[in-house]
Amino acid sequence: MSAVAIVAAPPRVSEATTEPAWVRRVLIAVALAFLALFLFVPLVAVFAEALKKGVAVYLAAIVEPDALAAIRLTIVAAAISVPLNCVFGVAAAWAIAKFDFRGKNLLLTLIDLPFSVSPVIAGLIFVLVFGLQGWFGEWLRDHDLKIIFALPGIVIATIFITFPFVARELIPLMQAQGIEQEEAARVLGASGWQIFRRVTLPNVRWALLYGVILCNARAMGEFGAVSVVSGHIRGQTNTMPLHIEILYNEYQFAAAFAVASLLAGLALLTLVLKIVVERRVAAQAGGATR
Amino acid sequence: MSIEVRHLHKRFGETVVCDDLSLDIPAGQLVALLGPSGSGKTTLLRMIAGLEVPDSGTVLFHGEDATDADVRERRVGFVFQHYALFGHMTIFENVAFGLRVRPKTVRPDEAEIRARVARLLAMVQLDYLAERYPHQLSGGQRQRIALARALAVEPKILLLDEPFGALDARVRRELRRWLRRLHDEMHVTSVFVTHDQEEAMEVADRIVVMNHGRIEQDGAPDEVYDHPASPFVLQFLGDANLFRGTLAAGGDGDAGTAYVRPHELQVTAHAEPGSVPVVFAQALTVGPNTRLEFRRGDGDGYVDVEMPRAEWLALRDRLGLVRGAQAHLVPRNVTRFANEDVDPAAMI
Repeated sequence: MSAVAIVAAPPRVSEATTEPAWVRRVLIAVALAFLALFLFVPLVAVFAEALKKGVAVYLAAIVEPDALAAIRLTIVAAAISVPLNCVFGVAAAWAIAKFDFRGKNLLLTLIDLPFSVSPVIAGLIFVLVFGLQGWFGEWLRDHDLKIIFALPGIVIATIFITFPFVARELIPLMQAQGIEQEEAARVLGASGWQIFRRVTLPNVRWALLYGVILCNARAMGEFGAVSVVSGHIRGQTNTMPLHIEILYNEYQFAAAFAVASLLAGLALLTLVLKIVVERRVAAQAGGATR
Repeated sequence: MSIEVRHLHKRFGETVVCDDLSLDIPAGQLVALLGPSGSGKTTLLRMIAGLEVPDSGTVLFHGEDATDADVRERRVGFVFQHYALFGHMTIFENVAFGLRVRPKTVRPDEAEIRARVARLLAMVQLDYLAERYPHQLSGGQRQRIALARALAVEPKILLLDEPFGALDARVRRELRRWLRRLHDEMHVTSVFVTHDQEEAMEVADRIVVMNHGRIEQDGAPDEVYDHPASPFVLQFLGDANLFRGTLAAGGDGDAGTAYVRPHELQVTAHAEPGSVPVVFAQALTVGPNTRLEFRRGDGDGYVDVEMPRAEWLALRDRLGLVRGAQAHLVPRNVTRFANEDVDPAAMI
């Protein structure tokens, strides 16, 4: 993101305020070399490895039933957790930015918790709570409810991991916008729902979309927490990242990289969307402060 | 619709923002709440609007208790200092907002909404901007749109919070006159908050001067200016020179503080009864007037004198006023306050 900004705005500074030319060149070279080595080469490698044995093998790896099941599960888990986190994120951001209440700072800290906790620990927490030996284990078994090693567990773990994305994106923007427009709407006779739908939501729509894109990318790519709660049942509880790992461990490199290329393609798509939306967010922020 | 405020109290944490405020505003009046920042004027306005809930006391609209009425039921128009226009809506939709959010049963049909918004935009002389967005407008235009939006719901009361505070001086003066004319045409009861005494004097029928959450004085602009009820009001409504105990003008040996406005001092060459000896320091021309600075003969600070420029030029030639020249000041009008215990320095 910052690389784009630097390219877009060539610095026009005088000799007195800038570093010598060789310093600049070395810094730029180091940065580019790093990017090439750690980002570009692996990305190319993924697609190269995936297509090494030909397109037929590539397609076969993707349409294989277990792979299709993994793709389906990943999409279903994201399709459930992203909209839910969208609702949670908007609600949390609205509460924090527009109202004053006790424990606001605590709530802010809690929103960041998933970022600071290792995903594996997050997964273990849910096993501890909902697993057979866990707090609700017996009750769940008695009522024939399966959470751990099933879709609900995967969704819960994904929601936990991706919770901060939407809220974190919205809170600073909503705080900067203040509550004047909401007050104006209220005086003009709008109900709470009308204020939210007609004033608050349109004011943050691009930031919200940006948060959703990041949330979705992480939801589909999440490995650690999902790995702990899924149980790795082939064709049933394997998401794409888990499926890739299994294939790789079984030395099916072409197949592993084929599925990985799908995830990588998704990441690239996310990147493009992110840039487009980012521009709109910047334009909106500019319009709001002008 | 008349507004009555009875014994309003409000505190934010430890700070008392409104301390037992009572105020009667008859229908159709245009009232200015004037005071420095932190005097509680905006909080009072917001409590009248229902955007803030008083700790105790009542607000009555047309004799009916509205203290617990929801903002939406109060039928007030509110204009914010920073306009608070909806940035993602066109100017037309901004003005139409109050009509569109009405419940279906009382919502005018689309044609009626269009006609009403067009009428309001014509009234604020900005009908050609209907399809623009707020960020494409100048500050003065935005504030006029904000006013049109507030008036769209046909409020019984119009409340304006520092409506011209964010505008530059020239646009401010234009909008002040415009607001005055608008009020004369519509006669909707209006209250506006300002910290600018000139603005209050120019626009309002009546000025309520506030300080530290209390009402210092309440009256017509001339009355408040000519007969200030307290040193605070006197100083807030214009410049004043302070004479502590030294001014014998009254001849009654009063040792209190005397206040004289800069334009109420006459410069003479020789001492007269009640005059103060001074030394000329400098002259500054501010618009049509010249401001003269004199150092007090007793060394106790400076005295400002203001007079029309032509008068100053004649005086300079007649008295030969150059830097360091001796002169005497005769006050034409002195204001004193009984039992004054307020420290004037604390009011600046």
